[in-house]
Amino acid sequence: MSTLTQNDIAIATRAAENFTRLYYSTYDSPTRIDDLPNFYRPNSALTWNGRPFEGVEGVRELVSGIPTSKHEVQSFDCHPIPGSQPPSLLVTASGTVIHGKGPAGNPAKTPRGVVDGHPRVFSQTFVLAPDPNAPPTKSGEVAKYYITADAFRFVG
Amino acid sequence: MSQPTFSSPTPAPGSRAIAASALRRAGLIDQDAKMRDVSEKPGRKAGVKQSTRTRTHPHKPRAIDLVTGKDQHGAKSLNARIAAGDPATSRLVKSTAARGRRNAISLNGAPGSGKVIELWKEWVNRRWNKEAKFLNLERMHEDEFLKRHRLTCPSSPDGAREAQVVFKIASKLEPPVETISLAHNDLASGRIMSTLAHFMPKLANLSLEGNKLGGWKEIEYISGKRGRLEQLRELVLIGNPMRDLEIKNDRVQQYKSDIARRFPSLEMLDGEPVVRVAFDAPTPSASTSARHHTLLTSFAWNVEPSFIAGVDGTIVSNFFVRFFPLFDNQRGALLDAYAPDATFSFSANTGIPPRARIEGIHVSKDFPNQRKLEWAPWLSGGLGGSRNIGRLTGGMQQLTQSLHLGSEQAVKAMADLPSTKHDVTGSPEQFSVDAFPIRQGESTNLLVTVHGQFAELPSEGIRSFDRSFVLAIAPEGSRAKQNGWDVVILSDQLVVRAYSSYEAWRPGPIRVQAGDLLPSPGLQQALAPLPEPQRALMQDLILRTRLNLQFAEDCLKNNEWDLERALANYEQVKANLPGDAYLPQDAFLP
Repeated sequence: MSTLTQNDIAIATRAAENFTRLYYSTYDSPTRIDDLPNFYRPNSALTWNGRPFEGVEGVRELVSGIPTSKHEVQSFDCHPIPGSQPPSLLVTASGTVIHGKGPAGNPAKTPRGVVDGHPRVFSQTFVLAPDPNAPPTKSGEVAKYYITADAFRFVG
Repeated sequence: MSQPTFSSPTPAPGSRAIAASALRRAGLIDQDAKMRDVSEKPGRKAGVKQSTRTRTHPHKPRAIDLVTGKDQHGAKSLNARIAAGDPATSRLVKSTAARGRRNAISLNGAPGSGKVIELWKEWVNRRWNKEAKFLNLERMHEDEFLKRHRLTCPSSPDGAREAQVVFKIASKLEPPVETISLAHNDLASGRIMSTLAHFMPKLANLSLEGNKLGGWKEIEYISGKRGRLEQLRELVLIGNPMRDLEIKNDRVQQYKSDIARRFPSLEMLDGEPVVRVAFDAPTPSASTSARHHTLLTSFAWNVEPSFIAGVDGTIVSNFFVRFFPLFDNQRGALLDAYAPDATFSFSANTGIPPRARIEGIHVSKDFPNQRKLEWAPWLSGGLGGSRNIGRLTGGMQQLTQSLHLGSEQAVKAMADLPSTKHDVTGSPEQFSVDAFPIRQGESTNLLVTVHGQFAELPSEGIRSFDRSFVLAIAPEGSRAKQNGWDVVILSDQLVVRAYSSYEAWRPGPIRVQAGDLLPSPGLQQALAPLPEPQRALMQDLILRTRLNLQFAEDCLKNNEWDLERALANYEQVKANLPGDAYLPQDAFLP
């Protein structure tokens, strides 16, 4: 049974903050198709609205089929998952996402109650794991982490 | 520069000449102005002459000359010239008056301010170590040059404008400033730094050593929403009360964490490395060489039903059928289901869901109790409150309190949350589950994410929730196994949100903008045999043009599957296309 120290929690929290910020800004950038796969490894497993993809190539295929996006993260949380050292991290994020041009991209005569084009609520869960093959590159770095599991859904 | 009052390092021999020519090239000083400077001899006071630092523009009258009467256009007094309506004079008078309360700093501004700017430029230049890319702004209140020229010290309480001038000048230095020291300036407020992030966003190293910064508020000027040093690598806060207090109260770790959270790029704090976790995030140089990709305007993928893989589906459903009724009626009994070292936390996403709002769910008759719901029990209940990391204000303490370690703590916290009613036996479309195995070190565990809704008691208002579990197979002889659980919970994260309809995960194609065509099941079936990415490109092109499969494929093939070129090609030829190049109406969903 491994006990979590305050230091573990502090490092995990900072990792979650950095990760969330980096991940969604990469997702929303024009270079998404080239840059987002770097967060994953060949053995990464992910689902997008229930459709499974695998590995770096799977991510590339997935994001090639998604229109431009703009995410706004409204809440995120992170734990170290007990059972391994350095620990894997469970991260959940939720917020809203606009795909395409948002409400402004709707035709001029779109009636008021139509939801299309408006932001959707999303929920995404990640498991971040230390990469055993990558040694830390700079002083102070505990480990290089990557996304080993990822489940995304539109929820609203 | 070896004057005792300047603490900038002595430049290498010949470097002054190099610095001077660099500044000239950079346009910061005139071609014909010589760099006035202190003598090399140590211990001597500066011998800069008073009156020779101004630019001379023979064709432009200078305000100061007008005021002193030494006008080149003639010796008429200022009043006389205003009375005569002299255009040059009136322009100058206007601008002098207007300059009084202006906030904007113009380096090439109205004549008269030019002299002061030149002084600042010279001063910045004296404190600039070009070789080390280091701008030394230490001990400014002791600076002889500032005193002699009666320049307001930037570190004084009314020196905000002067600080802005200094940073603006610094932002134009070449090579760009990497390091700034504001040490030993008696700074009690961080306000002096309010424009620092604006003028020098790429600043790498900052020292605030030996000041009087008392609290986190003072750091907000460089770590808040208005201005953030995004690339700060090193920060020194030694000798400030805010740091000394934390050390005295035995909160060093918290202090380090709180700083590191505000400056994600930080590598060194107070001379020690910052411990952190790294990701393979894109670096600017890597991204700029990327190929140009045309993004689709439609989704290549549909929403699919619940996905369960690598595990028998009944294990997952058995778990839920037992877990949720206990969560509703007898949270204490869940003690058996959590591993002894399990982790649990919950957070409230209090954002208003846009689509639900447009649909008027929260005010509709079908949801009569929504207005009775309150966020307070979720935000501060549960023995530690909502753990929305991005919104926490209580620092390390709140982060620790809101993370419940061990099965006992987890269940205790849950007992302090509002009562709930999950309708697990009702219509299954209310819930969406994605579950698949994950490797964790040597073992294989199960990631299970469930999205759904519950009624909150006693109000009976409806909430939406997302819950993520990491489950392990319950070992033989474990408490969980003995109590009939096939799986044991290692981690549990709950997010509670304002209600959104489960229509969000109804399977089918996804619309981007209102009025977009969606493919009918028949069309999707026809496209299904194609390999990716051709299938996705075909679907996108067809949805935009209504071309049938043959024409769409030809169009893409002839343009080497480059979507942008294919669309341009289509635009060129569409006038000549026959009617049967297109799909009938029923190939699309309304």
